[in-house]
Amino acid sequence: MPDVQPTTVSVENPQSYEDTHVHAVYDEIAPHFASTRYKPWPIIAAFLASLPTGWIGVDLGTGNGKYLPLPADRPGSVWTIGYDRSINLLKIAKRAGDVDREVVLGDVLDNPWRKGAFDYAISIATIHHLATPARRKLAVQRLLQTISPSHGRGLIYVWAIEQDDLSKRSIPTCPNPKDSRFDIFTLINKGQDVFVPWVLAQQADPKPKGRKGKKTHAISSEESEPAPTAPSSPPKVFERYYHMFAHGELTDLVTEAALETGLVIGQPPEAIVPGRKIQGVQIVQDGWERSNYYVEVHRWEL
Amino acid sequence: MVRLITHNLLACHAKGCTSNNFPLQFQDVSIELRDADFNADFLRGFLPRLEWPALVGAARQLGDTSLPAEQPDMIDDEFLQKLHHVLLEIHVEEGAMVCPNCKHVYPISNGIPNMLLAEHEIG
Repeated sequence: MPDVQPTTVSVENPQSYEDTHVHAVYDEIAPHFASTRYKPWPIIAAFLASLPTGWIGVDLGTGNGKYLPLPADRPGSVWTIGYDRSINLLKIAKRAGDVDREVVLGDVLDNPWRKGAFDYAISIATIHHLATPARRKLAVQRLLQTISPSHGRGLIYVWAIEQDDLSKRSIPTCPNPKDSRFDIFTLINKGQDVFVPWVLAQQADPKPKGRKGKKTHAISSEESEPAPTAPSSPPKVFERYYHMFAHGELTDLVTEAALETGLVIGQPPEAIVPGRKIQGVQIVQDGWERSNYYVEVHRWEL
Repeated sequence: MVRLITHNLLACHAKGCTSNNFPLQFQDVSIELRDADFNADFLRGFLPRLEWPALVGAARQLGDTSLPAEQPDMIDDEFLQKLHHVLLEIHVEEGAMVCPNCKHVYPISNGIPNMLLAEHEIG
């Protein structure tokens, strides 16, 4: 099992850091990555199943588009547009579930939409690829801006520092107890920047005579050792950057992001001040599921 | 794919471009028509979310004049079928979308619109 390695982000140019350690990696590993991502997580499936018929939404960082066909029991009752920074993943997402999907190439730090045009937005396993707290906060703000100020709903999922037994990943171990990056207090309160390797074993097979399949054969993933084949080139390892979120960090991030844009946090007040419009966002649930933290928000306006 | 359901949601986001940045204008497009599953309930629910004049204008740019300039009061099946076709069955495969305000060009390739900006264009 490939181990998760700690890393420190170069803060001078987080954009080029992400280009190297996130975007370029996904463009390279797209077909293999997509073949390992098919099972929706329960909280996300339930969120999408709860949406009224006729709603339109966006999946910010859609990857291979595995959430675009949902809800499974009412296909086509809502419409989710897939949005991602990786063109190669989008080429897969546009046929997710073997149906034509709508996908758009773009960055989650941008907002190429009519303001508040969507009824819902989801951001699953995406914000943890952004390399600084400021950029992660901006991504949350973008999500809040894309959804309707009066009734928009949002769901955000990120990788947690607390990993469950079922998870195929391992928590970074501490090679040096004096390394402050691994101080348990730091881990719990601030999360951890890590590299997660993606192992692509390559079989160079220039003339695939009598062989099924493609020239390059992806045979390994983060959950398994490279198969014992005789590859003519060594397996290629791609280091993906992640920020592993600490307990409470995502909820704090969403709260801060909302307050900074002038939104009130919490339930809509019962007493309305006449002539004064207020906008807010309520965190309707937050928690931990399958090694991830999630937050669901509802926007309101009075 | 860029179908008109998506076109109706996209706006220019280049630096400083905040007004008259919607709807984007199609340019040099090639289109394909492909059947999609008809879902009357989705369309009825979705209808109030549309920017109607933008949809009608975009459809006309693509050569489809089946929709009335004003959204009708009577939503019958015949109308929903037309709406379904315009929203979900016309695929813009190649070409571009141009901002009516700042003239920024967003290319469309293999049915996927590229809304990325260069670093100096980000607002």
